[in-house]
Amino acid sequence: MIMKKFLAIVLAAVMALSLCVTASAEQPFAGEYDVTLWVAEEIKELTQKQVDDYNATNTDGIKINATIEAVSESDAATQMITDVEAGGDIFCFAQDQFARLVQAGALDPLGVKASETVEAANAAGVVAAAKSGDVLYAYPLTADNGYFMYYDKSVIPEEDVDSLEKLIADCEAAQKYFAFEMNTSAWYAASFFFATGCHSNWTTDDEGNFVSVDDTFNSANGLVAVKGMKKLVDSPFHLSASSVNEFNAGAAIVVSGTWDFVTAQEILGDNLGVADLPSFEVDGKEYHLGSFNGCKLMGVKPQVDAIKAGVMHRLAQYLSGEQCQMERFEARAWGPSNLVDQQADAVQANAGLAALLAQSPYSVPQGQIHGSWWDIAKVIADDVKAAQDDAGLQQALDNYYNKIAELFKLDSSALLFVGAWNGWNNADQEETYYLKDGAVTLEVPESDYMGGRIVSPGNWDTDKGFLQVTEGKELIQDLGEEIGDNNIVFLAPGTYTVTWDGAAITITQN
Amino acid sequence: MSESTMKRHMGLRTSRAISNTAIHILLIVISVVWLIPFVCIVLQSFRVEGTGPVGYIIPKQWGLDNYSRLFETDFPRWYLNTFIAALVTAVFQTIIVLCMSYTLSRFRFKMRRPLMRIMLILGMFPGMLSMIILYRVLKDLGMTQANAVPGLILVYIASSGMGYYVSKGFFDTIPMSLDEAARVDGATRAQVLYKIILPLSKPIVIYTILTAFMGPWGDYVFARYISFGTSAGKNVAVGLYDWLNKDQISKNYTMFCSGGVLVAVPVTVLFMCLQRYYVEGVTGGAVKG
Repeated sequence: MIMKKFLAIVLAAVMALSLCVTASAEQPFAGEYDVTLWVAEEIKELTQKQVDDYNATNTDGIKINATIEAVSESDAATQMITDVEAGGDIFCFAQDQFARLVQAGALDPLGVKASETVEAANAAGVVAAAKSGDVLYAYPLTADNGYFMYYDKSVIPEEDVDSLEKLIADCEAAQKYFAFEMNTSAWYAASFFFATGCHSNWTTDDEGNFVSVDDTFNSANGLVAVKGMKKLVDSPFHLSASSVNEFNAGAAIVVSGTWDFVTAQEILGDNLGVADLPSFEVDGKEYHLGSFNGCKLMGVKPQVDAIKAGVMHRLAQYLSGEQCQMERFEARAWGPSNLVDQQADAVQANAGLAALLAQSPYSVPQGQIHGSWWDIAKVIADDVKAAQDDAGLQQALDNYYNKIAELFKLDSSALLFVGAWNGWNNADQEETYYLKDGAVTLEVPESDYMGGRIVSPGNWDTDKGFLQVTEGKELIQDLGEEIGDNNIVFLAPGTYTVTWDGAAITITQN
Repeated sequence: MSESTMKRHMGLRTSRAISNTAIHILLIVISVVWLIPFVCIVLQSFRVEGTGPVGYIIPKQWGLDNYSRLFETDFPRWYLNTFIAALVTAVFQTIIVLCMSYTLSRFRFKMRRPLMRIMLILGMFPGMLSMIILYRVLKDLGMTQANAVPGLILVYIASSGMGYYVSKGFFDTIPMSLDEAARVDGATRAQVLYKIILPLSKPIVIYTILTAFMGPWGDYVFARYISFGTSAGKNVAVGLYDWLNKDQISKNYTMFCSGGVLVAVPVTVLFMCLQRYYVEGVTGGAVKG
């Protein structure tokens, strides 16, 4: 008995003591942490310095022992997905890899407070690129991943830079190339479509899955865009390339981004001209070429240790903050996404970023885009070049649209209605209908079996049938007892609309 | 010589000349096609103006900048990694393969045939199939990423016993009576191998060393998988290929070419020195005595 009491007292004391310890620790994150950082080769040393600065200035008692590895931002997702567990704790990546990383569970979302701070401090387009659904998954690092025009002043007169037609004529007259990557990159080719107000907006859910697309490339405006594109790709002096090294190989104009600025300056020296993209004219109307406006992001890997996760987020917030972005601009001319940095005089004075800024009213923030889109859209230019007339151009757009539509048919979230309306014995000739916006209209002819059910492609057993029908039960018969299935079997032939809202099925007779 | 025979001779000679010319032209075309990529890489590695890919082959300014720049990067480290992996693999794989071939050629034991058959079947599975599980095992042994080199060596050597076919075929052509004579004179089995068989099979030994060296030297897929996310564990193929990423290609393309040339040099030298043996070795195992 005494023993028990003693034990209870001891236990109580231990618990009280541990409470004291927790309460007295004003610095819950204090300690040493081994961290692996993946950054681009060119900012490796700078990042080490920034981590040292963080160690010296943070008030949480955090000490970071950083291992900094050079991993290309365009390759970070592939490397990360190889083995998330062994990947970098904090890593930088170009935004086109965002969806893959979210899907692979390689990004730890930001907390509420951090999200608010980051959203307020950075350009809206960049914040949108770091979000899936409403969840912010990464820290914005730059806002300079767009393109504009470099040109050789000795060939192109300055007054011509606003007109695509004049530029093409100048290049042809001088026997020099106009390098604008059309046939091999959708990133550049989309420029013409954005000029005429077309868009391709993709929606992702909170887990990074693509759920729908709003795409207007195949439209009257799209046709105007491809007419403009045809002017360029038909020129014998058009070159589908995007490296300023083409200036060495006979190019007079190269459409590229800030990353090529230093190289361009080395090659052309005083002859280097920089400008926003030109306009093209179709049916007497001018259209200013658009562009993608992309960014680089910094992600934090999910951690087993919650404390370490907190520390990683603090470090990432620091490294993507105002001061560090400015340092990166000063060292490597990376265009900041931080709103305060964007207003700095030095940033405003940078010729490359200035051209990007001039282009920005015509640019479209690069949101979440399905990985297959890049391959689907890049063939447009080839189709356009091959087209003989307007019908051919329309065909190019149709091809594009069909492939986009297919993407969602193949997507596992799409549903279809499979049925054997023309009779039980003809079940091998089943009709398959894709549910568009969750609904399908069926023409049911008279036959001995007028049934079917909603399934996911490739998964016949996913029963979404009779049992889920909430409205319109009077139109169908219950064969569940009789033959043990969940099929929707209509009582009479006719035209029906079947709607699926994710949980319930509604049937109406038209 | 009568006139008609003269004519016939002339006809024969001309037709032979024509067919020879045609064959030579064909061979020249084929070799040009085959050589162009190599010539391009060598020429581009000496290009000083611009560092990205361009639309012409012959540099306007020549220089060794790309080679000297290589030494400011991690390239020497990658080179060393590859060299160590290739060298260690060459040594161990050669020993294992030769012992294996000798055993299967000279010893008669119960499981000999079943063993050979099992290895034949195992060899039919593509090695890539085992990649994920091997990664897991190596990770638990701490042999991935920065420590990729020992891990890679382990993987390269692990299955080398299965590559015994060519050398066993060659050993089979050496008469058993030589072994027996040596054994009668008191030589051990090992002595027979070192003192009798190996000196007689120089071409096949060299062929084994060369193939063992070449595998790790050019490996990309496995090396990339094991050494992901770290520069210290990369081999040359992985490291150089990363320079072709779109954010690096305009800075590093010419350096990539010079790196490629440096990778090719030791292999080329090795081949030139050992070419005579190599050809003998490749065909050696095919003749059964």
